[in-house]
Amino acid sequence: MAHFNIENLTFSYAAAKGRHSLENVSLKVEQGEFLVLCGKSGSGKSTLLRHLKTVLTPNGKRTGEIAFHGVPLSRVSDRDQAEKIGFVMQNPDDQIVTDKVWHELAFGLESLGCDQKTMRARVAEMACYFGIQDWFHRDVCNLSGGQKQLLNLASIMAMQPEVLILDEPTSQLDPIAASDFLNTVRKINRELGTTVIITEHRLEDIFPYADRAVVMDCGKVIADDAPRNVGKLLYEQHHPMFTAMPTPVRVFYGAAGVGECPLTVREGRSWLSKAFPQTPQYPAIPAPELSEETASSALSLKELWFRYEKDSPDILRGVSAEVPKGSLYAILGGNGAGKSTTLKATCGICKPYRGKVTLFGKPIDKYKNRELFTNCLAMLPQDPKSLFVKKTVREDLEEMTKDKAEISHIAELCQITSLLDNHPYDLSGGEQQRAAMAKVLLTQPKLLLLDEPTKGIDCFFKETFAEILGNLKKEGITIVMVSHDVEFCARYADQVAMFFDGQILTTDTPHRFFGSNSFYTTAAHRMSRHVFHMAVKVEDVVDLYRKNKEAAK
Amino acid sequence: MRDDAFSKRHPAVNFAFFIGAIICAVVIQHPAYLSAGMLCGGAYYLLLHGRRGVKMVLGMVPVFLVLTAMNPLFNTYGDRVLFRYFGRPYTLEALLYGGAIAAIFVEMLLWFGCYNAVLTSDKFTSLFGKLIPALSLLLVMVLRMIPNLLRKGAQITEARNAIGRGAAEQDTVKGKLGEGMTLLGALTSWALEGSVVTADSMRSRGYGSGKRSSFMIYTMTGLDWGLLAALAVLLVGMIVLGDRTAAFTPVLNIAPIGGRNLPGFLCYLCYLLIPIALHIKEAIQWRISISKI
Repeated sequence: MAHFNIENLTFSYAAAKGRHSLENVSLKVEQGEFLVLCGKSGSGKSTLLRHLKTVLTPNGKRTGEIAFHGVPLSRVSDRDQAEKIGFVMQNPDDQIVTDKVWHELAFGLESLGCDQKTMRARVAEMACYFGIQDWFHRDVCNLSGGQKQLLNLASIMAMQPEVLILDEPTSQLDPIAASDFLNTVRKINRELGTTVIITEHRLEDIFPYADRAVVMDCGKVIADDAPRNVGKLLYEQHHPMFTAMPTPVRVFYGAAGVGECPLTVREGRSWLSKAFPQTPQYPAIPAPELSEETASSALSLKELWFRYEKDSPDILRGVSAEVPKGSLYAILGGNGAGKSTTLKATCGICKPYRGKVTLFGKPIDKYKNRELFTNCLAMLPQDPKSLFVKKTVREDLEEMTKDKAEISHIAELCQITSLLDNHPYDLSGGEQQRAAMAKVLLTQPKLLLLDEPTKGIDCFFKETFAEILGNLKKEGITIVMVSHDVEFCARYADQVAMFFDGQILTTDTPHRFFGSNSFYTTAAHRMSRHVFHMAVKVEDVVDLYRKNKEAAK
Repeated sequence: MRDDAFSKRHPAVNFAFFIGAIICAVVIQHPAYLSAGMLCGGAYYLLLHGRRGVKMVLGMVPVFLVLTAMNPLFNTYGDRVLFRYFGRPYTLEALLYGGAIAAIFVEMLLWFGCYNAVLTSDKFTSLFGKLIPALSLLLVMVLRMIPNLLRKGAQITEARNAIGRGAAEQDTVKGKLGEGMTLLGALTSWALEGSVVTADSMRSRGYGSGKRSSFMIYTMTGLDWGLLAALAVLLVGMIVLGDRTAAFTPVLNIAPIGGRNLPGFLCYLCYLLIPIALHIKEAIQWRISISKI
């Protein structure tokens, strides 16, 4: 019998004035299945997931049936649902209830009224399975984001659910923590046979391993098939969701490849090897022209040294960088390496104990505070929520300037004109990012610092965001951005710098930077490295493929 | 600090010990008892905090001296006048009494310092979780919220500084106050937003679906029961077997330690030395087991 059977579910939020968030959704989930639910943000994925557990179901008008093991969900008791249907949400922090790791693991069991012996055994079991023993006694507030989300997963698995539902669980995590987390989810599905229903932006890590992919658009299910077929279907429909597919899929269809569509980098490599048994005629795309004229530098960092406390280790250990005017300069690097601290040092929030920061040819300590942040420098923090202090986006923008024309200009630039009267917290992650960006831009900075701007936004918002950055560059604004997002930097940055061990090690154009790396590089390059040289973007691989195939004819 | 033998015992033992030690510290004014309390408290504090504790313990010396010297300024009882200032007598009795009060104060600080290091919040809540489940969960959630709010507050301040809207940017007092209010408002809505998610997460994990039980991570061992019994016996022994009379003013009347009163004092001393003794015992055992390897 199917685990979940959803029939003709239609739902609209009470405040939505009749607009359907879900429309005639019918879906069957079999036991032990691994199901990926994808779609743009706002396509109704989360709304659908929340319908699978009564206590989380939103208020509104609803028709249709949801059955769990053949019984209507509303007739399954809360206790049974709590035990059998596990639900992991997006925000790692707010989901945690208690202050200690061990207590959090036991929280669900306590709620179910388990006895000491069972709890002890289950908690121990979970701690071992998830590798939590080492931080079992720690305070929750000292954990990293990845550890927190793993704890959320473990504390739900302690109740031994039959179904695990995950609503964008990795959107707040860095790539390494995210792929660890997703691997754990796969392991749970594979080793315990727990049914998994997951929504994700990061399809590269999860799409190939799913049994089934369901694509939603505007509240409707538009595709429901094995991942390989879904890729094909989206390509044939020229659907915008195709851009969210893993790199190998996009390369394959972009190049009109023959054979079976590759889903992983490994499959992509063997597909390319088969297509080009000999070295191709054009192994590399011509390197982009390097502009000889060296623009004067907007920001220069010289030998910055910094530590947070007297006895703590140095975070910055001689950071030096030159950022040319009007460029998009991206700093890549691991977690906790000091990338964000570099930004903070640049805008004077952290004071380096040695070294010099020069802004537009003038040392930073020569600037008066007010001078520094008006018409000169501004930073977009990692969490856009920390910038919102008012009830509507408009009020928040008005806090920065009284000039109505300027506000509407910037709102247009950031594409948030239609959102101005919403509460900032009601916006989606990508919208919040743009609203925060608008607020920052109202200081009319010449140098913009961005801390992980693509965290938690899907690939469509990323494109919009890149467009905004492009427009800003045209206006002559210099942008320095710190990021984990290799694909984004490869595509849009002018200069890429590698941050490691408290320093900036190398700086180069994305083409040469990623082209010469073999691990820390884009999926397109990892997939094509053995056949083509320096093909960093999907388009590069597609171009080379087509060119060589034509030449061979 | 984590490796202390007494801290590893059941929270009930920890709690009972500190309650006993602190109550005795407040109630008993006998100089010998107070000295014993201060010394044991100081020693255990050093044991727990290591090098970082030295500063605190040494800092107690001036506190003790100042408090002692101050009492005769307000209290002129007693007939052994040491000297007169502005015609007011400065008496030995008052000075000694000041010493006793100062000792109580110092002893309290030291024992509470130890208490904080040993009886962490999770031990406390797991101890009382069974008695008052709702309240202890509330306490746990508050303990989780405080560092969270502090972190978020710092984050907002930093974000606002980086766009030139921080409190440092405001020239007037009114402006600074306004900035503070803005920060508070933002923090509140952020916390409310978060608490909606927390509530969802709690209900999703069955909170309120039935009777709750409470997970005890600590179990009572034979040693724990033994220690509890020892604590009780020593306390009773102290009460029954010794005279602890100590009056300072107007006439000095302090019961001598020794003879009939000695067993009571020794009971008290043993009681206070239990944590240190456990520590030493463990250290010795460790040495022995190492030498066997």
